Amino acid sequence: MIELDRWLTQATRHLARDSAAQVRGEIQEHFELSREAAMAGGATSDEADRSALHALGDAKTANRQYRQVLLTAAEARTLRDGNREAQAVCSRAWLKWVIFAVFPAALVVAAGLFFSGRGSAGRDVLTAAIGICPLAAALLLPIRTPAWGRVFRVVKWVALVGALTLIYGPETIKWSWLLISCLWPLALSEWRRASIRRKLPVTSWPRHLYL
Amino acid sequence: MNFKGTLPTLILEALNHEPSHGYRIAQSIKERSHGVLDFKEGTLYPALHKLENEGMVESYDGDEKSRTRRYYRITKSGRRMLARDRAEWRAHSQAVTAILGEA
Repeated sequence: MIELDRWLTQATRHLARDSAAQVRGEIQEHFELSREAAMAGGATSDEADRSALHALGDAKTANRQYRQVLLTAAEARTLRDGNREAQAVCSRAWLKWVIFAVFPAALVVAAGLFFSGRGSAGRDVLTAAIGICPLAAALLLPIRTPAWGRVFRVVKWVALVGALTLIYGPETIKWSWLLISCLWPLALSEWRRASIRRKLPVTSWPRHLYL
Repeated sequence: MNFKGTLPTLILEALNHEPSHGYRIAQSIKERSHGVLDFKEGTLYPALHKLENEGMVESYDGDEKSRTRRYYRITKSGRRMLARDRAEWRAHSQAVTAILGEA
């Protein structure tokens, strides 16, 4: 039925493919039952179609509500990308060792810079190492519950923002436009991941969603 | 009156007695309210999914007249939430009735 297809196209806009298929299935089932009930009440086929479609209401309103509870296409993409990155790191032992080695290497470099009298550069290297330390810690720590995931995320952001503030020092406000323009994709990704966590049951969270 | 906020509670109440599919839940709410709560049925399923995400209901595939349908049933958490919502609603409606009764 064309009108129902149009309603479904509107109601499933920007939803992930699986979410859209789920919506189509349940609404079509509902529409058929509604149509059968109307025809059992004496309506003609066209009247039953119109009545069933009218009962569904506004497709845009349904779409807005669906996007709050089901994964959107952008969120599904974020989830897929996260799965791909996690697989890329976990399937390559040498990459894990490189990530583990960054923090001690940075400590050594910072120590060298301090001893050679370049304290300011040493401080910047040390602060950057502290900022990316959560990345290495994420591979080691047994974060398997939402509560620990929340703790880790707070520590991660405090380390990142704290490190950047220490590096820029009193000029942080002056360079905040640069920081914001570099960090907003990260913030957007974090926002999407928070939304995914709300929509998926904990049992289906991939490991990287806790972090 | 804001119906959207009460829809989850009404869904839980409809499921409290027996598992049901979406269409029957919608008809149950409309019939038991004698047509007063005539909401748009397209908004029922987002509310059901939200309840499912929160663990208040769970879904499963069931058979009706040799056709597979998606059924929903209330969970223990859902029953606890329903009891809480009932108590809140009673307190709220008594307070409003007391004020409107004075006016």
